[in-house]
This record gives sequence, structure tokens and C-alpha cells, in this order.
Amino acid sequence: MSQFRSKVAIIGIGEVPSGKFPDRPCLQSCVEAARQAILDAGIDKNEIDVVMPTGVFYDRRFNTDLIFSKLAEELGLLGKAKANFQVFSGGASSSTMLKTACGLITAGLAKVILCVQCDKVGSAPTQEMIDLFATFGIPGEWETPYGSFMAATGSLVATRYMHETGATPEQLASVVVSMRKWAVLNPNAMLRRELTVQEILSSTMVTTPSTTREGNVLADGGAAFVVTDASIAKEVCKTPVYPLGFGSRVLHYSQSQNPDLVGMGYTEAGEEAFTMAGISASDVDIVELYDGYPIYPLLALEGLGLCKRGEAGAFVQAGNTWPGGKLPMTTNGGMLGQGHTAAGGGVAVLVEGVRQLMGKAGERQVKDAKMAVETAMGGTFMDIHVCILGNIIP
Amino acid sequence: MKKEYKKPLPSPSPWSSPFWEGCRRHELLIQHCRDCGANIFYPKLFCSSCLSPNLEWTKSSGRGKVYTFTTVYAYGPTQFVDDVPYVIAVIKLDEGVQLMSNVVDIEPERVRCDMEVEVVFDDVTEDFTLPKFKPVAI
Repeated sequence: MSQFRSKVAIIGIGEVPSGKFPDRPCLQSCVEAARQAILDAGIDKNEIDVVMPTGVFYDRRFNTDLIFSKLAEELGLLGKAKANFQVFSGGASSSTMLKTACGLITAGLAKVILCVQCDKVGSAPTQEMIDLFATFGIPGEWETPYGSFMAATGSLVATRYMHETGATPEQLASVVVSMRKWAVLNPNAMLRRELTVQEILSSTMVTTPSTTREGNVLADGGAAFVVTDASIAKEVCKTPVYPLGFGSRVLHYSQSQNPDLVGMGYTEAGEEAFTMAGISASDVDIVELYDGYPIYPLLALEGLGLCKRGEAGAFVQAGNTWPGGKLPMTTNGGMLGQGHTAAGGGVAVLVEGVRQLMGKAGERQVKDAKMAVETAMGGTFMDIHVCILGNIIP
Repeated sequence: MKKEYKKPLPSPSPWSSPFWEGCRRHELLIQHCRDCGANIFYPKLFCSSCLSPNLEWTKSSGRGKVYTFTTVYAYGPTQFVDDVPYVIAVIKLDEGVQLMSNVVDIEPERVRCDMEVEVVFDDVTEDFTLPKFKPVAI
């Protein structure tokens, strides 16, 4: 049994709206999200002993500021916080921050940890960001000369998946339909309009088999969460959320070096996480699956054992993951609905899982949700992290 | 007279230069570990199976299969916007290693997973030749 189980809890969350906010500096997103999370946690901010910002891609200077304790200074934690350091693995930073926090708390090296993300990739010129993201995990010597870039990485996986399973373009598009339905209910989402399969498939073809509406849209945003010792959690928080199990694998740096682009380690990471949590896939009420592109939630549903191989597309197409469906999926709308805030795409999904389990998801609240499985991936989907969260300890 | 090549070129490392020199001679080279027998691509300082420094270069058959691919039609990187449609693919060579490349000499709509392909060399500049792949003639 894991050492952190029943000893660590998430007690507060904060988030600013995702979208294009050219006049909102990174610092503002960062401090507003942090302040919300502290207020939500109901703690005195001076109790925070570790400030853990993750990385910012758009503004390198500001990223350096965060490494060098800018946030601790803004929050008046100088002389009080014991450490400020960055934990960064791209889109997987949600899980790696949470895991690091669990370790520090379980080891007695920290009591209250503030994890914060912000970025501003949404208000930059689109072509500039396409070019910037074409350097993220795409090897300059071995892949860049052939014209690969972020959207292509998702499509390379989708092509192989369709080849092996016979999944249809309509089924992949259904993932976007599901994400948009949730985004409509999310006031912090960027793309709050429902789309039909027809609208999605008739939009511009970008990288076969994916159209422009099957690509995530870059957004500015910020989110934060507070992690603490479970004994403190019970005093200050009505519904603490407990990390119950983790599983993960590093899969590649260069996408071309991954021998199993349709497996992506979901099965191995999922088995690890469910075993650690002491529950099975059928025990989860909601799935907060990292998307980026429609293919990944499908691979996750199958790899985690929630659907049989090749059946996830039909499962989503039938409406099972929509609001009111039997397995609510990525209930903030994911990067296809809320917007892709760089490392924040994953943080937003984790924060949403916590929000649901705390019962604070407003119009999109899934009734009586007790257990969630959350996934995170970074770079060109270089790794897979699976986390089981619960508002009860089974 | 070749027109000016404006797309990104590799920046070889001391240990990958033999690969690019091979491409200029129209030879596709991969590394082979003399200790554990692993075939290695892309070029490494040490064997990625056993960390041995005892590596040698061998000539690949240049034949393999398309593991997966995508055809780019829009919103690609700046330097490739005039190339659309172009096919990006992950090729699995018969020697068991994988690499990214382009599939050429075929209409993009006809490319398929597991299609058999063979290397062709594209002399893009005087200094650089990129290995690309075309369908094996049946």
C-alpha cells in the first residue's frame, strides 16, 4: 500500500478563464489562480511552506522569474516559505507536481504546498505558436527536416489506430462533440459552442485524418491547487480530495522512436494506478482524460479498461461521455473545449477532477461523484501519467 | 541549378556525422552494437540497449514499412507551407529500427499503413541529403 494514501489531500483549487486575454499578463493569471486556491483551501497563506510553480513556455523571462521565487514574493511568503522550485514536464506537469507534493508531505518535508500554472500562448500570433510548438519534443535533427509539428503528432497516432481498429472519422469527431458539450457548461472555457460531427468533419483538413476542429486551440490561462497533510485537510476543508494511486511511463522523446503509438502505456500505467488505489476501473464515476487531440481519450478509455479494444469510438459516439452520460469524460471540455494553455492543459484537467469530487462544478456537476481517474501527457505525448482521485478513502 | 533550399536542415553532432555523410553517398547507415547486437537509430554515443561504447556503422537495406503517416494539408510550420500536401511518416526498417521521414513518389491519398517502402535520397543542398521513402515497385 502506498505511503501517501490517506496522508495527503488536495484542499483548494483556483482557475482563471481560458481564452485570448492579451491585456492579462502571465503574472496576473498566476497570482489570481493562486489566491483563489488559497481562499478555497481556507488556510492562512502564511502556512504555505513550499511554492511549486510549473513552467511557462510563452514568456521565458517570466518563467525565470518563477524559478527565482517571484510568486513567493508576490504572495508575501518571504522568510516563511521553505522552498520555491519548479516541477515541469509539459502537459504532464499536473501529475508530476502532485506526485512531488505527495512525496514531500509523506516524507515530512512540507506541510502545505501551493502548485501553480499559468501561460499566455493564446494571445500570441497563431503562426508563431505553430512554429514554437513545432520545437516542443520534435527533434531538430531527426524530425524537423521532414516538416513534423504538433498537430501532425496527434494525427500520426490516429492514422495507426484507425488502421488497427477500423475506427471511423465520425467516431474521432465525436470526441470533439463530447468536449464541446462540456465546455458549454464551463464558464472558464474558451470554446463554448456545440459542434456537430458534420461541422467538425467539413472544416479544413489539417493533417489527415484530423480537421481544424479536431485540433486544440491555444489559450491563455492559469490554475492552481493546494496540497496538504490529510490531518490538516480535515480541519479546514469540507470535502478534501485524496490522491489514491499513481501509475506512469515515459514513452519517448522522439515520437518516431515509440514502437507502440496506439498503446501509449495506458494499460501498464493504469494497472499500476488502480492496484495502488485498491479499486478497479469499474469503480470510477468520472474520467478526466487528457486530450490535446481526439485520439488520446479513445486510447485512454481502452487502455484503462473502460472500453474494449476498438470500441471507444462507438462508446463516445453513443453519447456515454456527454453531460448526463453514464461515464462523464473530461468534464471541463479539455483542450478541445476549454482551450490548450500549454502545461495548463493538464493542470486544468486535474483541477476539474478535484472540483467535481469537491462538488463545486456548478452546472456540470456530476452527482455523487466519489472516484475519478485522471490522465496527463507531455510534449509529443512523451509520457503517460494516471492518477486515481477520491473524496473517500476506500 | 537547384533553387535555394529554405527548410530546416539537421545540425549533426560528432557522432551523427557519419550518418549524414552516408546519406550524401546515398547509403543509409545505422549503428550496430558489437557487444549486445542491438541495431540502433538515431545515432547514439552509447548503445541504448547496454550502454556499450563499442558501436559500428552498418548499411541498412533501406527497405521497410510505413508504421504510420499523416498528410499535411494546412497550418504546417512556416517553412513547409508551400509544400502541402506532403506526407510525414514513421518508417520501420527491416532492421527493426524506426525513423521519421517523408513518403514521396506517390499520391498522398494512396499511402497506407504497413505499405512496403524503400529509401530514396533527396540531395536537398550540396551539403545535405535527406533519406526519404517511396513505395517498393511491385
